[in-house]
Amino acid sequence: MARIEVKSEITGTVWQVKAKPGEKVESGDTLIVIESMKMEIPVITEDPGTVKEIRVKEKDAVAEGQVVAVLDG
Amino acid sequence: MAYETLLAEYEARRAKALAMGGPEKLEKRRKAGQLNARERLALLVDPGSFMESGLFGTSGVYPEQAEETPTDGKIAGYGRINGRDVAVVVNDFTVKGASTSATNSKKVAHMKRTATERGVPLVIIGESTGARLPDAMGSRGMGQLLGNDLTQFRRSREAPLATAVLGPSFGSSAWLACCADFAVMHKGATMAVSSPRLVEMALGEKADVEQLGGWRLHAETTGLVDQVVDTEAEVFQAIRRFLSYLPSHHMEAPPDAPVPAGSGADMKTVFSILPESRTQVYDMRRIIKALVDQDTFFELKPRFGKSAVTALARLGGKSVGIVANNPLHRGGALDADACRKITDFLVLCDSFNVPIVLLADTPGFQIGTEAEKAGAPGKIMNFMNAMTLVTVPRLSVIIRKSYGRAYVCMGGGRHSDDVAAWPTAEVSFMSPEFATRIVHGVGPGEPGFEEAFADIRKGSDVWGLASVFAAQAVIRPEETRDYLIRMLDVHQLRTTRGVGQHLMRTWPTSY
Repeated sequence: MARIEVKSEITGTVWQVKAKPGEKVESGDTLIVIESMKMEIPVITEDPGTVKEIRVKEKDAVAEGQVVAVLDG
Repeated sequence: MAYETLLAEYEARRAKALAMGGPEKLEKRRKAGQLNARERLALLVDPGSFMESGLFGTSGVYPEQAEETPTDGKIAGYGRINGRDVAVVVNDFTVKGASTSATNSKKVAHMKRTATERGVPLVIIGESTGARLPDAMGSRGMGQLLGNDLTQFRRSREAPLATAVLGPSFGSSAWLACCADFAVMHKGATMAVSSPRLVEMALGEKADVEQLGGWRLHAETTGLVDQVVDTEAEVFQAIRRFLSYLPSHHMEAPPDAPVPAGSGADMKTVFSILPESRTQVYDMRRIIKALVDQDTFFELKPRFGKSAVTALARLGGKSVGIVANNPLHRGGALDADACRKITDFLVLCDSFNVPIVLLADTPGFQIGTEAEKAGAPGKIMNFMNAMTLVTVPRLSVIIRKSYGRAYVCMGGGRHSDDVAAWPTAEVSFMSPEFATRIVHGVGPGEPGFEEAFADIRKGSDVWGLASVFAAQAVIRPEETRDYLIRMLDVHQLRTTRGVGQHLMRTWPTSY
């Protein structure tokens, strides 16, 4: 089992948290939605796995490259 | 009879050379689930097509090592891939870790020279430890072995170079992958300047092998490999497939292929991929897959600079290079990595006569401190300059947004041979939310914003572009495939039989 860090690609504000710890996710699934540049930008996992941690909540500010979720995959 | 003795010796020597590093080492690989060099060769080239060059080569530095250095650790020769000639080098890790020494350097140089001068692709299957020691030790070793072939790492893109990164790939396997037009990496392989052992000795840094040179590093952070695959069989399939899109050399057009049944069937519903709201995103790859010939989408660097998509594909049986924004990532904003990836791809396509199709949906180049730290302006200008030097046919389609400098880079104005736009196209100097603030001094929620915003948006619609002939066509989304096939035909390079000018053939192989 590898620990996979999922990072926000972009600086913005958390709009929605879609995934919960313990959930199984597939490649391409949206974990979190960030509001940035007046758009809804998804944080997508490239790897399948189980959500271990979600490190942000709605309305949190996030920076580019910040780890927002951790998966076991 | 003397001839029989000679032939018996020939067969004995041949069997010895074909046996690689011996049964023990081969068995160890088999147990570890790794293919050996000759099994890899069999997966790479068409059955029965391999003609070996240098089967009887052995160590050129220590004659007494002849027994333990069959082929000197690098198998070289000529084969065919889908019936087309290629030159091949497969590193044999069971012979001194496929380390580089005198005889095998001559073999690799011979393959590269033949590929370059005769116009056939060169394929290098990597897995190597680096320079052989003690052969390259000391000033005498260095003087004998290194730097005596000026063309060893020269890339002027006369013939395609495809490489595989397998197992530990240090030294030549890493260098050549970085020189290549296509590098595919097997998960579990390592590509790095130096091994964890040397890193620890020199720096005291305890580096994990995956962190030092694993697939995730190269697929996501360095962008030095084009594809990552799970199995060894997929490594060879990827190389065979990559070469199918390219000509054998720079002075011919790419080969045509039959158009698979079912191509274009999804065009009827392609418009429904766009979300109704302009603030929502979608995966541009769905549009590309609908547009191109069935199952011909071959994406390069899918985990790197993801707000851009670069892919080889076919349209109406002809090879094309697709450069697209992907709103699914960063809303389609192009960051430094995306610019690097596109520049790299434009150089590939232009050097090997592959026409380019650009699909635009971008709010512009990524702004912010992270982007600036990554040297965004320089990367943007490399992209811009490459677009001014492209000499192959080039078409662009504005799908939705195309703003600012990115409008030009994505084929706006004279930066494509013909510009088409969907009715959803919106083009301006900057996104209307910000333009409204700057031009009218009002932001969202403030009095007068909605009217000013609507006014600015109206001025950005497709009809302005069409009325001044900055878009030569406004097309219905479902007609896009037929439009592109027809326009690629219109713009084909008839006077040179499909061959461009290759103005970027000596550009770097990574940025």
